[in-house]
This record gives sequence, structure tokens and C-alpha cells, in this order.
Amino acid sequence: MATAAHAGHRLERRYARLGVFLIAPTIVVFSLVIVYPLLAAIYLSFFSVYTPTLEGEFTGADNYIRLLTNAAFWNSLITTLIWTVGTLSLQIVFGVGMALLLHQNLWFRSLARSLVLFPYFVSTVVAVLVWRWLFNDLYGAINHGLMQLGIMDMPLDWLGTMPNAMIGVILVGAWKYFPFVVIAVLARLQTIPEHLYEAAKIDGAGPIARFFDVTLPQLRSVLVVIILLRAIWDFKEFDLIYLLTGGGPVTSTQTLSLLVYQEAFALNEMGQAAAYSIGMMLVMLVFMLVYIRRTAREA
Amino acid sequence: MRILRKLGFNLFTWILVLLVAFPLVWMILTSLKPQTELFRIPPTWLPETVTFEHYWRLLTETPFLIYFRNSVVLATTTTVFVVVLGAIGAYSLVRFAYRGRETLATLVLFTYLLPSVVLIIPLYLMMVELGLSNTLASLVLAHTTFALPYALWLLRSFMEGVPEDLESAALVDGASRMGAFRDVILPQLLPGIISTALFTFILSWNEYLYALVLVNSDAVRPLTTGVMTMLISAFNIEWSLLMAASVMMSLPLIVVFAFLQSYLTRGFGAGAVKG
Repeated sequence: MATAAHAGHRLERRYARLGVFLIAPTIVVFSLVIVYPLLAAIYLSFFSVYTPTLEGEFTGADNYIRLLTNAAFWNSLITTLIWTVGTLSLQIVFGVGMALLLHQNLWFRSLARSLVLFPYFVSTVVAVLVWRWLFNDLYGAINHGLMQLGIMDMPLDWLGTMPNAMIGVILVGAWKYFPFVVIAVLARLQTIPEHLYEAAKIDGAGPIARFFDVTLPQLRSVLVVIILLRAIWDFKEFDLIYLLTGGGPVTSTQTLSLLVYQEAFALNEMGQAAAYSIGMMLVMLVFMLVYIRRTAREA
Repeated sequence: MRILRKLGFNLFTWILVLLVAFPLVWMILTSLKPQTELFRIPPTWLPETVTFEHYWRLLTETPFLIYFRNSVVLATTTTVFVVVLGAIGAYSLVRFAYRGRETLATLVLFTYLLPSVVLIIPLYLMMVELGLSNTLASLVLAHTTFALPYALWLLRSFMEGVPEDLESAALVDGASRMGAFRDVILPQLLPGIISTALFTFILSWNEYLYALVLVNSDAVRPLTTGVMTMLISAFNIEWSLLMAASVMMSLPLIVVFAFLQSYLTRGFGAGAVKG
């Protein structure tokens, strides 16, 4: 009996060692490409580094003082929030709406689902090229379509002026990322038990009442997760905005990600850029911690 | 009355679906129009003459094929590297007990949400130091920063779905842990591995920022930055050529969509959103 327990214990220890051995390569790669760069970013943010020569000197908290006192960071933060809130709300509204429609008995439903999913998986570069062509002020399909429908009578400069540029970016972001909401909500809709709807019907609830009394409460938890995740991802979005407007006109669509990039690779101030990126991460950390805690609780 | 309502619903939904799909349809239509037809006011909605000249020019007169090859190499290498590491790592995270396991899982989730712009500056410095700047290897390493946490997280939830009894039964029959992993778990995990591989491949195929910062010569540029340089370097923007490039760039995706779409939706259920 004692020896069996002893052998079991030894086996357990051997298994634990094997487990560590199996995770070791992952830990090494993680430390090399994520943990080390993350610490290096914090370290760099206390230096003034000139990008072309990569030479620099320790400047203490100067970069952070500049971050707090100059308008650049705060303006970008506001732009980022406008972009995030704008595009995220459209994603949620269209996403939930489309999911409800695609959940019904639609002709060629799987084809419709594929078509709706496609923008999410297509490369941002492709999405941006297509939209820049659609938005083209002289030959673009959007201006001509809207003019042919009689909605406007002059072509509009979509990406070169404000507030059109911000509206354009928000719209393209919504188009690109709402399928994520559709997929997640559709998956959840399929698990709502049918009898809940029947009970509501017997109680005399119409379709709208059924949506608010049955569907929405059932979707609540998945919506919280979607909003958290999408808020984090939209907040840090770089490609879509950079490629659509480059942050312009002037800096009106320059979100924090773009600010970091510009500071590091156009203004050649790597230390300041690192400080901006740390500042940005601290803002995001709130959402990240909420999401992580939520996921940990469910696991 | 009922049939009318059904018709109305279908019509309404399909109009919305087609509106969503319109930009992609427009991309294909534009790529088939001759250059002269593009600059007509008002534009022709359907091409009057269909031409494949832009595709031909793209393949023969531009470095598109080099970009395409670079993207294939980059995305494939990243995927294989990350999925192998991820599968073994996920096995360890789910089926073994040791100190720090939970912390590690949380760390993975944290890095999965981390913005790339935080890592890009130190990674750039690191690649310069290692002498890897302007190589595909630097991009593979950089792509690991988002692909590995992603793959690990996805594979971890797929691994949790593999019944533990199967492994125990194999162990009772005298298999070693690694033998059980190979013979029992891997076959069960295969659909999850395929989903993860597809997602990783698409992520890497579509990545832009790292390619922009780490690579600046045509010989190693992947499609994303390569096609964008075609936009910037052109004297007057040749939209039909760019649309042809966009269509070609989306080809792998169209193949995945046509044949493997169920794996994509499965990946969604397992990884990103639970709730």
C-alpha cells in the first residue's frame, strides 16, 4: 500500500517534469519575442533614441512628462475613443441585427452567411484598396451611386476632409469587423431553447417583446465578451486607419497606434514613441484585466 | 399573406447581404474592366467588355509573384512553427499539473490582447542587432508574437474538449504519456489543429504593420506591403491593376471559404468568444 502510494507520487512528479519539459519551448519563444521586447519597451521609454543611428541617452522621466503635458497624446486618445466607440457601436448594432436575420429561415442561408463573413477574413490591405476606390472622389462608385439615387448632387471628398474622414474610417471598420459579432451571436442564438419562445408566445408576447424578454437576456453574457474583445481590438487598430487616411487630414484620424508609429519611424523619436506605447497599453490594461478576469472566472 | 411576408423578409435580408458583399463584387468587376472604362462618368455598373489583361500584366510585369511567394513562405512557416509549439504547449497546459500553470495561461491570454505597436520598437531593434532585418526570418519571429498566443489559446480550448478518459485508458494499456499524445490525443485534436492552422495562416497572410517596419526590399516583401507599394509608386493609380492584385491576394481565402469554412466557424466557437 505504502509503496503503491510512493510509486504514484513518483509518477506524478515525473509527469510534472514532463509537463514542464513540454511547455519549455513555448516559454523560451515567449520570453524571446514577447516578454523581452515588452520589458525593453519600458526600458527604452526612459531614453531619448534617434531612430536612424539608434544612439541615445538616459533622460529619466522626460518622455512621460512630455506625454502628460503635450497635447499630442491626449488628442490621439480622444481620437482613438471616438473611433472605438463609433465603430464598435455600429458593429454591435449591425452584427446583432444581421445575426437575427441570418438565424431565420432564409433562402440560400449558407451562401448569405459566407458572403457576410467574408469581409472579416479578407486582408485589411484588400479592404482598404477596395474602399479607397469606392470612395474615390471623381470616379468612385459611392459618390456616383448616391448621386444617381438623388441623395446628393455634388461628389464628396470622403477621406480628405473632416468629419468625412472619421465617418469613412468608422464605416469601413464597421464593415470589416461586424461579421465577428454576427458569428459569435449566431452561435449563441442557436443554443437558446425553443420552449422559451413558445412560453413567451403563449403569454401573448409579440416579436419585439420576445426579442427584449427572451433573446436579449440570453445574449447578454456573450455580448459583454464581444464588446470587451472588440473594444480592445478596435482600440489598438493600426492597419485599417493607417492605410485609409494615414491619420489625416493632418492628425484628425491619428489614433494612438498611429501616433506611436509616427513618433518612432517618421519623427525618429524611439524613446518618446516607446513612452506613448506604454501609455496606450496602460489605458488598455483596464479592459484587458476585466476580460482576463471574466475568462478566468468562467474557466 | 404569409408567402408575401416571407418574400418581403427574404428580399430585405438579401438586399442587406448584397450591400455588405458589394465592395468585394465591385473589386472583381473593376479588375475585369479595361482601363478606359474605369474613368467614365457616370461609371458602368457592369463591365461592357471583359478583359483579363490586368491579371496578365500583374503576373508578368510586376513583382507580384515574388510577393506572393514570400507570403506563402512566411505564412506557412509561421503556421507550422506556431501550431507545433502550440499543440505541445496546450497539451502541457491542459493535461499536466505543475506550479505556475495557471499564471502561464493568464499570461498567454494577456499577450493575445497586447497591441503590436508596443512590441514593434524593441523587435525592430532586436532584428537589427541580430542582423535579421530585411529577412523573412525576422517576419516569422515577429508574427510569432501574435500567432503563438492565439494558437495556444485556441488549441487549449480544443484540448479541453478531448475526453480525458481516452488518455487514461491508453495509459492503463501501458502507453507512455507521449505515446498516448501521439496515438490518442492528436487524432482527436486534428479538427482543432486544422482550424487553428487556418486561422494562423490567415492572420499571418494578412499582417501589415510588422512587414511595413521590418522589411523594405522587394525581394522579401510579402503581399500586404508589396501591393501597397504598387499603389504608392504608380505615377497614376491603376485601380484595375490594384483590384486584380486584391482578387489574387484573396485567392487562398476563397479556397478556404469554399472548402473548409466549417473549420473557421469552429475556431470561433472554441477560441475567441465564450460566454
